[in-house]
Amino acid sequence: MRMLNLQRYLKRLQCKRISAYFLPGDVMVLAIGVLGVFYLFQLLWSTEHATKVQIRLADKIYATYSLKLQREVHVPGKLGDTVINIANGKARFAKSPCQGQYCVHQAWLSLAGQAAICLPNQVSLELLGENKPYDSLNY
Amino acid sequence: MFKIFKSLVLVALCFALSACFKEPLYHSQSYVFGTLVDISIAGESDERASMLANQVMQDFQNLHNRLHAWKATVANQPSELGELNAAFSNGKTPLNISPDLAQMLLEIRTLSEKSEGLFNPGIGQLIGLWGFQRDEFTAVTIDAPQIKALVKANPRMADIVVSNQSVYSNNSALKLDLGGYAKGYALDVAVAYLRQQGVKNALINIGGNVIALGQHGNKPWRVGIQHPRQPTAIATLDLADGWAIGTSGDYQRYFMLNGQRYCHIIDPRTGYPAQHMQSVTVLVPPQAANKSQAGVLSDVVTKPIFIAGATQSSRLAQAFGIQDFMLIDEHAHITVSKQMAQKLHWVNADVKFTTLP
Repeated sequence: MRMLNLQRYLKRLQCKRISAYFLPGDVMVLAIGVLGVFYLFQLLWSTEHATKVQIRLADKIYATYSLKLQREVHVPGKLGDTVINIANGKARFAKSPCQGQYCVHQAWLSLAGQAAICLPNQVSLELLGENKPYDSLNY
Repeated sequence: MFKIFKSLVLVALCFALSACFKEPLYHSQSYVFGTLVDISIAGESDERASMLANQVMQDFQNLHNRLHAWKATVANQPSELGELNAAFSNGKTPLNISPDLAQMLLEIRTLSEKSEGLFNPGIGQLIGLWGFQRDEFTAVTIDAPQIKALVKANPRMADIVVSNQSVYSNNSALKLDLGGYAKGYALDVAVAYLRQQGVKNALINIGGNVIALGQHGNKPWRVGIQHPRQPTAIATLDLADGWAIGTSGDYQRYFMLNGQRYCHIIDPRTGYPAQHMQSVTVLVPPQAANKSQAGVLSDVVTKPIFIAGATQSSRLAQAFGIQDFMLIDEHAHITVSKQMAQKLHWVNADVKFTTLP
């Protein structure tokens, strides 16, 4: 039975009509895919573009800078200097003395709420926007 | 095929439009109850929201004046609570009090019993002795004999006799300090008022006790939980309609003496500040109308857990029907109940914590 179906499917594939390439299941998958993209767009993109970057060193806020002005920041971490670039509304780890270089691989961050952390050197970037990550603080 | 495409475009448009219409959000802050009060109202015009928020703030101020444990009111008269405390210290002289205060005393007695006496607003004298009935907290000289005497006097809420609106105390050492109750009570008052005014969406925060009404836009209100030792939130969670969250910590009201931290939460069994916790957070679901409300519980339930410590936390929380809680102990070790673990969004994904079974 299964073999038969497959044969019929292959036969249909040989036809030149485009619709023949799609089975109902394919259309469903496409529809779910498109809806999924819209949902993720809504979920992730609705966080507005960040306006500031907050640099943390260990448990302290090291500095907060506007993302508008181009800047190179040197943060004296536990292992050595971490270099952070700020330009055109984005920020990134440019250089880090750590082994893994995970932080550098994070590349540019531009959305509010985005963060990159260098665990070994204890330096982190957090982007701040007009949208707060929470409505009120339970202090 | 075209039909499907058309419906997809329609769905996409709906998404796009919903993103455009942002509900108006009104936000106001003020200082009441010796702490920061923060009110957000969504979905009302600015004018109406500001009127409602002002009324709530005024109600808070009135409650604060009436229930103040150690300050006279503006007219230099003792507060309603002050008057009651004076009567208690004079022996068994019955005093007539307002119906809502009588109701509060009965409720506090029940809550104190449930907490096995660890939530005890009758130890106002000890709280004063430790210097926490002041605007600013500075180190005190520890008066060990006096502390011992006050613990021995054993003032308990059960010593208070309420019949109708006439009240007296069987124990003259009993002095009420509603610092662990009034803020929660005020939350419930505010929510009842806003609901009655037809407000659908609001978030009220009184010094770390937060209650939610409705939601914010198309999402639940989101609350950050303060890290007890860092200037940041440790985690966030969604606060659904009618839910309340409360945190008691050793980082807002405390003083340092000889390298030791003394916080404002006093263990009634020893007379000394509880010293084994940095913070305790409880999340409280909406309650039935005839029970203590979510606001009150969010304020009260953290105290016995803070005093008794992690080993007793599940049992004490259970006694109040609470399943969601988080503890951060003196070594910064985090313990989270199973239910709470599913609701928390940690700010630092590398946070280490223990989940209770």
